[in-house]
Order: sequence, then C-alpha cells, then structure tokens
Amino acid sequence: MLENLLFGKLTLDAIPFHTPIIMGAAVFMGLVIAISLGLITYYRKWHYLWTEWLTTVDHKKIGVMYLLLSGVMLLRGFSDAILMRSQQALAAGTHTGYLPPEHYNQIFTAHGVIMIFFVAMPMMFALLNMAIPLQIGARDVAYPYLNSLSFWLTFVGAMLCNVSLVIGDFAAVGWLAYPPLSELYYSPSVGVDYYIWSLQIAGVGTLLGGINFIATIMKMRCPGMTLMRMPVFVWSTLCAMILVALSFPILTVALGLLELDRFFGMHFFTEFAGGNVMLYVNLIWAWGHPEVYILILPAFGVFSEVVATFSQKKLFGYTTMVYALAIITFLSFIVWLHHFFTMGAGADVNAFFGITTMIIAIPTGVKVFNWLFTMYKGRIILSTPMLWVTAFFTTFVIGGMTGVMMAVPPVDFQVHNSLFLVAHFHNVIIGGVLFGYFAGVIFWFPKAFGFKLDEKWGRRAFIWWVVGFYLAFMPLYVLGLSGVMRRTQHYDNLSYQPYFIVAALGAVCILFGIMSQIIQVYVSFRDRKALRDITGDPWNAGTLEWSMASPAPLYNFAVLPTVTGLDQFWIDKENQLTTGRVNPQNIDYQPIHMPRNTGAGFIIAIFAGVMGFGLVWHMLIPGLIGFVGMILTGIIKTFNTDTDYYIDAETVKRTELAHFMEVAACTTK
Amino acid sequence: MHNEVTVMDEHHHDNDATDVFGFWLYIMTDCILFGSLFATFLVLNYQGMLPSTLKSHINLRVVLLETFLLLASNFTYCLAMLDLYKQKIFRTQVWLGMTFLLGGSFVFIEVREFIQLAAEGFRWDLNGSASSFFTLVGTHGLHVSCGLLWILVMILQLPKLKGSHIANRRMTYLGLFWNFLDIVWIFVFTIVYLLGAM
Amino acid sequence: MTQIVTKMVKNWLKWTMLVGILLSLTACNLQLSGLLDPKGVIAFEERKLFFDTLALMMIVVLPVIIMSFAFIYHYQVSHRTRDYKPNWSHSHFLESLWWGIPCIIIVVLAVITWKKTILLDPYRQIPGQTAAPMVIQAIALPWKWVFIYPEENIATVNYVEVPVGREVEYQITADNVAMSAFFIPQLGSQIYAMAGMRTRLHLIASVPGDFLGLNTQFNGDGFSDMTFMVHAVEPDQMQAWVTQVKQSAQPLTPEAYGQLLNPSIADQPKFYNGVAPDLFQQVLTLYMNTSGTVHPRDNQLKFHNSLN
Repeated sequence: MLENLLFGKLTLDAIPFHTPIIMGAAVFMGLVIAISLGLITYYRKWHYLWTEWLTTVDHKKIGVMYLLLSGVMLLRGFSDAILMRSQQALAAGTHTGYLPPEHYNQIFTAHGVIMIFFVAMPMMFALLNMAIPLQIGARDVAYPYLNSLSFWLTFVGAMLCNVSLVIGDFAAVGWLAYPPLSELYYSPSVGVDYYIWSLQIAGVGTLLGGINFIATIMKMRCPGMTLMRMPVFVWSTLCAMILVALSFPILTVALGLLELDRFFGMHFFTEFAGGNVMLYVNLIWAWGHPEVYILILPAFGVFSEVVATFSQKKLFGYTTMVYALAIITFLSFIVWLHHFFTMGAGADVNAFFGITTMIIAIPTGVKVFNWLFTMYKGRIILSTPMLWVTAFFTTFVIGGMTGVMMAVPPVDFQVHNSLFLVAHFHNVIIGGVLFGYFAGVIFWFPKAFGFKLDEKWGRRAFIWWVVGFYLAFMPLYVLGLSGVMRRTQHYDNLSYQPYFIVAALGAVCILFGIMSQIIQVYVSFRDRKALRDITGDPWNAGTLEWSMASPAPLYNFAVLPTVTGLDQFWIDKENQLTTGRVNPQNIDYQPIHMPRNTGAGFIIAIFAGVMGFGLVWHMLIPGLIGFVGMILTGIIKTFNTDTDYYIDAETVKRTELAHFMEVAACTTK
Repeated sequence: MHNEVTVMDEHHHDNDATDVFGFWLYIMTDCILFGSLFATFLVLNYQGMLPSTLKSHINLRVVLLETFLLLASNFTYCLAMLDLYKQKIFRTQVWLGMTFLLGGSFVFIEVREFIQLAAEGFRWDLNGSASSFFTLVGTHGLHVSCGLLWILVMILQLPKLKGSHIANRRMTYLGLFWNFLDIVWIFVFTIVYLLGAM
Repeated sequence: MTQIVTKMVKNWLKWTMLVGILLSLTACNLQLSGLLDPKGVIAFEERKLFFDTLALMMIVVLPVIIMSFAFIYHYQVSHRTRDYKPNWSHSHFLESLWWGIPCIIIVVLAVITWKKTILLDPYRQIPGQTAAPMVIQAIALPWKWVFIYPEENIATVNYVEVPVGREVEYQITADNVAMSAFFIPQLGSQIYAMAGMRTRLHLIASVPGDFLGLNTQFNGDGFSDMTFMVHAVEPDQMQAWVTQVKQSAQPLTPEAYGQLLNPSIADQPKFYNGVAPDLFQQVLTLYMNTSGTVHPRDNQLKFHNSLN
C-alpha cells in the first residue's frame, strides 16, 4: 500500500536499459550534468549561482536564462529531427530503417513539442526580457517575481519532458496528442501523461509571462511614450501577449480534460460513452492557431527593428504596421477550423474558415511591403542580423503562399496531413519565426552581454542554415503533392527515396549551421575584448535601449527618459543631443527603487516539477508533497513584505560615470 | 526620512494601479478557462446523442441554498472591505471569518451533493455529460476552496500588514476574485442547474 | 562588403545548382502520383484549383521576391546611392496600393473558394452524375481497412475494386482504432474516419488503373502500413470480379470480423462472400450507446496487450 502511494506505477523496468540510443543519450546527459555540477562545486560557484541567477528577478538575467534553455533544447529537438530525416532516408521499399515505430513515433512527437514549447517560446521570452523593458523606458517588468516564476516553470516543464527520455517513455501520438489515440485505451503508458504535465507546467509559466508583459507594456511606459510612439517590437509583443492571455487558458482546459479522462476515467474525448473527439480537436486548435501567431508576431517586431536599423532609415508605414498587427491578432481567433477541414463539416463552414484564413494574408502582405520599402532608398548594411532578414523575405513569402493555397478547402483535401503541410509550416516557422529570432538574438546580444557576436562565424551559420533549409524542405513539397504523408515511418515507393536523401542532406547542412553558431558564441566570448560594445549603440539604432551602456546597468535607466516622438534615440541623435553627452557629474541622481531577489519562484517551480512527476506515475505521496509545497511556498512568500530596496544615488552616479569615462576615452583615441 | 517615505508612497501608489490591472488580466484568463468549460459542458450535454441523465438528479432547493450562501458571503466580504477602509482591523477579521464560514458551508454542501450523486449512480465516469458536470461545477468549487484558503491567510496577515497599502491591495485582489466566483456561479446556476432541470 | 556579397551569391549559386541537378536527376524517375497525376474528376478539379491558386498568389509573391533581392543589392551602403532618404517613412499612395491589390486578389480567391468548396464538398453528389452512386462502406480497423459492398453482399480487406466512370459513395467509420483518415490521392479528397461517427466521400475514377489508397491520420504503430489498393476497372470486369468473389470466398461472420479487430500490420487483401447487412450500422451504434468506463471493444481484447 505504502509502496504504491510512494512509487505508483514506477518500477525499474521503466528505464529502457535495452535501448542503446536512449541509454547513450541518457549517459551523455548524466555526464554533462555531473561535470557542470562538479565544476560549480570546484570553483565554489554555488553561492554565486544562487544569488545571481536562481533567485534573480532582473529581467535581463532572466532573458539570458531563457536563451540558454532554448539553446539547449534546440540541440535536443534538432537531434530528433536528424533521427527522423535519416530514418526516412533509409526506410524505403523493403527496408524499415533503424527506428522501430514505437521509438520513431516518440521522436516526432518530442520534436514538435520541444521545438514549439521549449525552443521557440523560450527564445521569444528571451527576446522580450532582453528588450521590452528597455524599449519602453522602464526599470523592470511589472512583476519581477512573477517573471522569475514564469521562467522556472518553463524550465521545469522542459526538464520533465527530458526526464521522460530516461524514465518511462514520451508520448507517441503526434505533437497535439489527438484523442482517442492519446486516451488510456490506445496509449496506456505514461508517455501522454509526461506530455500533459510538462506542457501544463510550462503553459502556466507562459500564461503568467503573458499577463506580466501586457501589464508591463500598458502600465510601465516612460513619460511621453504614448501607444503610437511605441516601437513596433513592443506593439508586436503586446499583440502576441494578448493572444497568450486569451488562448493559453484554452490549452490548460484541453490538456486538463484529457488528463481527467486518463486519470479518473472521465469521458470528454473518448470515442464512446458520450465523449466527443472533435471537441478536443476544436479546443486544441482554438489555442493552437493563435499560438503560431504568438510565435510569429514578435518575429515581425524583430524584423521591423532590424530592417529599419540596418537600412539606416525610419520604419516605413508605422501606422499601417500597427493596424496590420491588430488585424492579424483579431483574425487569428476565427480561423482555427482550417486545421481540420477533413473533419466532415459542411461546405459553408469550410468555405467560411478558408476565406477568413486567406484574409490574414492581406495584413501580412502589407507588413512585407512595408519592410521592403523601408529598405528602399536606405543604406543597407549587411551585418548578420540583416542577413537573416534577407533570407526571411523569400522563405516566408513562399511559406505564406503555400499557406493560402492550403486555406482553399478542396486543395486541403489533397494535401492535408501530407509532407506538403510539413514543408509549409517549417517554411513559415523556420523562415519566419526562427530566422527572426536569430536576427533578434544577434541584434540585442551586445545589449545583454556587452560584446557583439562574431560576424564571420555568424555568416557561415547563416549560409549553412539557409542552404540546409531549402534542401531539407523543398523536396517535401514535391513528396507531399505526390501523396506522401507526415509521420510515415517507412514507404514502399522507391522513387521517393532520392527526395528523402536530399532532405536528410539538408538536415546535415543545418547541423553544420548549428555547429557554426556554437563556435560563433565560443569565438565571440574568446574575443570579447575586441568585440566589446563601448558606446552602447553598436548598430546606430533608433530606440531607447541603445541610449545606455552595454550591458545595461542593473537599474536600466539612471534617469527615466521622456519621449517626444517615435524612435526617441534617433530624434536625439538627429538633434545632436548624444554627441554632447551630459557628464554624469553634473546630474543630480535620485535613489532607485528595485525589487529584491527571491528564491520563491525557483522553489515553487521545483515543487511543481515534483508534483508533475508524481502525477505522471500516479505516485500520490510525492504528488501531494509537490502540490502542498507549491502552495505553502507561495503563502510563505506573501508573509515577507521586505521585497524591495533602494540603490543609492551615489552608486548610480559611479556607474554612469564609469560608462561616460569609457566612452570618452574611446572617442578621444 | 519623512521626505523619503512620501516618495515611496507615491511610487507605490503607481505600483498598486499596475498590480490591480494585472489581477484583472488574471481574472480575464480565468473567464476564458470557465468559458471553455461551459462550452464543453454544452457540447457534451446537448449533442442529442445521449439522453441527459442529469435532470433526474438535480435538487434545485439545495442549489438555491448554495446560491444564497455564496451571495451572502459576498455581502459579508463587502462589509469587511468597508471596515478595512476605516482601519478597523478586528472587525475586518470578523467579517472575513463570516465570509469564510459562508463559503465553507457552500463547499461542504457541494461536496455532499457530489457524494450523493455518485451514490445514486451518477458518477463522473458514467458518460460525457456527467464528466462535464462534475468538472465544471468542481472547478468552480476548487476556486472557492482556494479563495477560502486565501481568506484564512488574509485573516492571519491583517494584523501584520495593518495600515499598509499592501493590506488594501491584497484585499482588493481577494474581493475581485470572490466577486468573480459569484458571477461564475450565477452562470453555473443558470446553465447547469436551471436549464439542466428543465 | 561587396566582396562578401559576391562570395555569398557565388556560394548560393553553387549550392542551388547542385540541388537543381540532384533534383532534376531524381525527378526523371519519380513515379508521379497524388495531386500531380489525377485519375478522377475530383482530383482533376483539385489540381486545377491548386495551380489557379498558385498563379493568383504569384501576382504578389514574385514581385516581393524580386524586389527584396533588388533592393538589398541596390541600396547597399557600399553603393553610395545618392537618393538616401533616412526619414522617408510614409506614402498614402504606396500603402493603399499594397492594401488594395492583395484585397482584390483575396476577393477573387474567396469567390473561387466559395464556389469550389461547395462544388467539391465530399458529402455532395458529384455534379453531372445522374445515376445513383454505388455504395462502399469502409471501416478503419487496427491498421487495415475493411470494405463492405452492401449491394453485392461481399466484403474485402485492404482491397477496393470500383467501376470506371461510376460515382462511388464511401461511407466511412472506424472500429477499435484511433481516428484515421481515408484517402485515395489520385481520385480526390480525404476525410476522417472516427468511431461512432459516419463520414461520407463521393469519388469517381475516370480512367482504369491501380491506385494507392492510404490512411493519412497518424493512429499508432501500424500507421505507415495502413494502405490498400484501388483497382478501377470497366463495369463488366467489375461484375466478373464480384461473381468470382461470390463463388470462392467465405462469409464475414462475427467471428471473422472479431479476428479483424485484432491489431495487425500490413495485411494481405482478403475477400468475403456475405456480410451481415447491418454490420456497418452495428459498429456505429456500438460506440454511440455505451456508458461507463469500459471501452466497447475492451471485452474482446486489450488493445495494447494483443500487440505483444
């Protein structure tokens, strides 16, 4: 009895000792963790780690941690991609490849889940944390403690997903876990439970993050920054975060009901006893479609910033940009049915949702033209962030085009669930979202770390990625049109194989791209002195975040700026205000109010992880410990009212003076 | 020193507006959560595939009692707020205690109703209609239970927070939350019980 | 800067040429199928619609791609263009142009979409077909398909024979397998197969031939092998085939059907003479009229236990 309460369904059999690939990965992960723990202990960095990172509420550091999480998970998600591509390249005719279905099915599920939830979303929040408060002239986000909680919940969700690799298995049902396949009858193992709980925990983190950034943007803008003076990146973030707040509760409900089905034998999505399978499909896409806009809108924001900066021009058509964003935000909620035209709904319903989907192409097209005409009559500097934008145009437009084609229901009846679809959404998610995020990361990297990323390796990474992308996904369009389905583990028609081999080669190119990026980070760190960003404005940009030192000081703005127009820093520079910098000696600084660090976010998230793991394995006692621990930590936190402190004016002056002297020394040289 | 305090207060005043705004946002997300559950309930009860078995199990008198308990608890909460504004901490605590008792009775009756329904054979794993009933009503009940825990914590914290802006802020949150649960209950009462009994 | 760009462009060219060569080599021996090689009215229409949409979209897409390369090339900082206008950021004319033109295109596309969606609705009879369609009932089973010909009173597994030029109405459901989808790419549309639900699909084969049919919705370990062959033959040949099945095959008894409910992968075609006339309806109602925690097929077999 006690054993059951403590361990639930978990036994030693849950660890797949007999599967060499998994055990290899597990040993590798274990080694990495052991080495990093050892190094931390050896260099006595535990205290540093705890005070500077685990308990931090500084948005800049949280942004860095999001970036790190996203980078690590990208490696995992990408190794899944390589496995899938090599499997499909091999498994033609009588060969069935090297991955048996039960393993292969987990891999494509994990690939989708990881890439969306634990690569794209954290990278988006990394950019938001790195840039948003600085762009609106704020000293932090609205709720710094909530921000740390959001991050740690996302982190724990990702870790729960990783644990499934070694203990038990992961879901083998596709990334959206359609029932009834994900119901207990067809998927009795813990895989789907891992899926549910890791997404549930990370999802709550995202929802809190969404609320946090809406409040930050609506309430924390510096004096003079009206809504129509916000940089487009801030606008795009606001729209994306409104989508988060509106759609993530639906995800919570959909996954929650699925878990109730599995845990308590309820009948929401079962195929019998009055359950309704299509209800889940509707719910999950009512979240899922806004989700893709949550990903792409901030990328649109990045493009707006990067295109304007590297064309050395103001962004073209600011007002229409904002309206286009708002229209996309609204429309993204009334198109979800286009993900399942083949459900058998009436022709009118299908046509309606098809047409609403096409309408989204209009504001999106407007944005593309505005970016193009931002470059027109500009002075384009092809630094690495801009390179990603150049690749974005063609790639994204092709993806958008195939998207509109699939919005025509009769066309979708042919290409639905095929590799054409796979090629389409990689076209927009890699070409749009990922390229945009890469551009953003390189763009804001100096602001977060104080030095630029190496250009040479950045260029190499870019070329490998772009070439790899086209090699990997263009063949899939052809295959999809000839009727090859996604999630196929093997196929009989030998004439498909060359296409799959080209696609696998493309994946290898992308691998080189990722390796180049790792080398890029290493080289940049090695040469950080030479790449140091002294002025704080390495790209000659126009928004507020470039008006301060790099990396930004703890308090962001020594004196809160007052804004008189769009792109205030650009205006300042045109008015020659920054060349005659005011010597900090002559400024009368005020003490700055700052939030204190807190470990509560970290501890609550760890308890959430314990609870999630306990519930996955039906271990009631650990599950309960996690649940009660979360609530108790939260309550104890509320008894602590000493949550803030002041940085005195003297320290502010010293910090600002140091930056001033450094810039001065640099310019006199 | 005096000067610094005023500066701080100004700052916090600003902060409070931001914080309450954030709490409204949270309430909005909770609205969507309940909205999805209501949609689920309606889909699974009125799709015409299964005869809804809910009707024969509803005891409207008990539900009416629950409604009155919850509405009354809202009233006592308002009284608590009024006393808080007058800085009468003990009386605030007493009204909060009343709110707790009323809310507690609500949860008690609901749990008893659930047990009784299960005993009558209307269990959550019977069919989709039953599952959605227990989940929708139960989610509301779980929210109320969280609110009860919060009220308890508030009662304990009030003396410590006495006179600070934090007390007002937290009571405002709690009040918003408690009111919100009332409104949700009105919908539960109408859509689940009244329409279900018809 | 120019050097870098020329180098980049060269790299690009090198790679794209390589890819082009590779693809053209392989394209020679790609056995075209699916949308690219339609064999039925519906699929013809869908291919036409596909390319029409493509053409419409090209009106916007091509200029964007050309402009992006042209602008990036022309306005590089190293080219020192004279017309640098750092603060030029608004033009009513231009902006209304690119709100307007896409709007017109989408209106055109929307009209086409509306008409074609109704015309090609899988539930509707195919326009121009006057005779009543032949009915085939398809049941998705754990990783195979059963096809029932109610009028001929025969059934098959993973094998369909249809007469050329005659409309066929497929009635589709699933039994003891997660949601699947029925698709014959060269004949036209696909539609989901769900337990307890009946979906419908009208298709017609315009020329004789053997076409691949498959499941497109991932539904577990046997997904990749859940395929079947469709033989479109002349009506008299079809009649001969029916007679042959009627003479040689065993009936699809409840026991035989129970056997089919067991999960299995890559089944060879099977033929049955004689089917319970309401088998399809029985399967449907089985899922609709249950309550409680036990899956309707759970008494027969545990889905996953039977795999080992």
